[in-house]
Amino acid sequence: MKSTQYSEKTLEHFRNPRNVGTLEGPNVAVGRVGNPVCGDMMDIYIKVTPDDRIEDIKFQTFGCGSAVATSSMVTELVVGMQLDEALKVSRGDVADALDGLPPIKMHCSNLAADALHEAIKNWRAGIKPEDATTTPVEKSCHPRPAAVVEVEIANLDDYKGKGVYTRVDDLSALADQRVVVLDTGDRAAQLAIDLTDHTSRVVLMTTGKEPSVSSAVRSALRLSDVKLLTEAQPLELKGEGELERIRVHDLNEDEEYELTADALVVLE
Amino acid sequence: MRDVVYADYQSSKPVDPRVVDAMLPYFSAAGTFGNAASLHAVGDDATAALEEGRAAVARLVGAQPQEILFTSGATEANNLALIGYAQRNRRKGDHVIITEAEHISVLNIAKYLEKSGFKVTRAPIDLYGRVSAKKLRARITDETILVSVGWASNEIGTVQPIAEIAEMLAGTGVALHTDAVAAEGLVPIDMSAVPVSLMSLSANDIYGPRGLGTLYVRKGVQVAPVLLGGGQEHGLRSGTEDLASIAGMAAAAEIMAAEMPAEVARIAAIRDRLVGRVLAEIPDSHLNGAPLEPAGGRLPNNAHFRFDGVEGEAMILSLRDEGVAAATGSACSSKTLEPSHTLISCGLLHEEAHGSLQFTFGRFSKDDDVDRIMAVLPGVITRLRVLSPLYKAKTPA
Repeated sequence: MKSTQYSEKTLEHFRNPRNVGTLEGPNVAVGRVGNPVCGDMMDIYIKVTPDDRIEDIKFQTFGCGSAVATSSMVTELVVGMQLDEALKVSRGDVADALDGLPPIKMHCSNLAADALHEAIKNWRAGIKPEDATTTPVEKSCHPRPAAVVEVEIANLDDYKGKGVYTRVDDLSALADQRVVVLDTGDRAAQLAIDLTDHTSRVVLMTTGKEPSVSSAVRSALRLSDVKLLTEAQPLELKGEGELERIRVHDLNEDEEYELTADALVVLE
Repeated sequence: MRDVVYADYQSSKPVDPRVVDAMLPYFSAAGTFGNAASLHAVGDDATAALEEGRAAVARLVGAQPQEILFTSGATEANNLALIGYAQRNRRKGDHVIITEAEHISVLNIAKYLEKSGFKVTRAPIDLYGRVSAKKLRARITDETILVSVGWASNEIGTVQPIAEIAEMLAGTGVALHTDAVAAEGLVPIDMSAVPVSLMSLSANDIYGPRGLGTLYVRKGVQVAPVLLGGGQEHGLRSGTEDLASIAGMAAAAEIMAAEMPAEVARIAAIRDRLVGRVLAEIPDSHLNGAPLEPAGGRLPNNAHFRFDGVEGEAMILSLRDEGVAAATGSACSSKTLEPSHTLISCGLLHEEAHGSLQFTFGRFSKDDDVDRIMAVLPGVITRLRVLSPLYKAKTPA
């Protein structure tokens, strides 16, 4: 079946999604699930009454047609429900309410129900929206390796002079290259910004949720073409005689992946 | 046809009506319907038509007629080139090199070769999707027998330096295969100037019928057949020749040879206008692949974008509602749920690759297609960004 062969009801919810947005206030919790790596990311906000009823619900979704439709449908299904009742709304219920989903898209219905359940869990645990973290989906599209505790790039020295730079005196030497700059503070971030005049691909990689820079540099970064890659830990360098790929540990999802790069800047 | 702006020429092209006219005489009793293998006069007419067709296709790409083999399409041509060459030349070595920008047909054939005991290396591409002769050379070993590099990417439209790669390989004894399907009819291809060993072409990609392709096999290059039977096409591709389709491809080749320069200029102008307007009018939009300048680095019909915070399949569905047909490299539109390997190899993060949108134009694209696309695309992107938890505008409107 074609991935886009959706039921009319799914298409209708995609075209006119219900309850789009966010919620704020003391009686609000959020469930965040998914993984942009897989192409789906979902936030469901619930506002809960003193007697444990879902008074209001909103969602935001990055994803395909069925991800949007299932988010919309789950909000419609549970608004007004008691929390215990809402916890019983299953993945299958969401798909059924949409008159079914193509088999390859069933994982999307998992996401919507998971996000709802996560929101209820966070509400009960007293976790405020600003403190909620993303919960990786159970069956993610990439196998998740065991937690890695390495903190240094194992073979950094092997690629010195072959793509690894500890200083960059001539920015134009990196023209048209895919440059990854490790976040070592303001100087590295400023270098990343300056490099965007020479190449369209500059990634600032940080292990934190935000780069460790001053607020002035942070706003300059936001306006620049630097691609920020947060919660990412470089593990190992790869390439035939010169740097070609960096093995990266995604600290948020606890997954590993490879990022293509021609240059890695680790300022001394 | 439905009133749709069709901007997906990369996936399928309409057959030129002049090609349909050229094919019709090859079906009925009043026309040329014979089997080229038959010894009677009806068979002789078929043989003449077959060889005329072969010569017309050869002329389009600067080949000799005997170097053109007809197949059921470019997929079969790729199978014959890679599997046929690797098997026939196994005693010389067991190593094949492809690139990370190849069409899925070549990727999957390479996997099959690995299962059959060959070693396959995938050479990396640069920021723009380009393969370098230097990176290829660094991967050649004493066991390498074949390098396969698509002439251009079917996805991001990057044109590979095939002449430079062929020159680098000359004298090494390593054969070069190129899948030229994305490039044919859009960039000059001349086998008398570029020493390629094997080249796959499809009829539909020059506005001929679907279900026919050719493999160019340079004189002296040895290939084993992968389809066995009556020994047609010098024993390399058995099966009675599809004369109507061959006449169609021949007509398509003749039309293309005559009209290509003017057609390419017109299509490039449409594409350039779309790229200019998208990047100027839609915030946080980016062009994937090679820049438009210098010309020659990118197919003239290809515009491939990504939009921060928006997923590809959702864009395609929304554009479908608005009467625009385009394509995406997003995982959610694929069977594997993996995003485009080419975009990842270019260095994009997964969430960026998911936000890609491809427009390809062609012979029947209209000058106002760009206006019709731009009448709806900004609204589609805005709507999906309102839905998205990932999108943070750099400069709030």
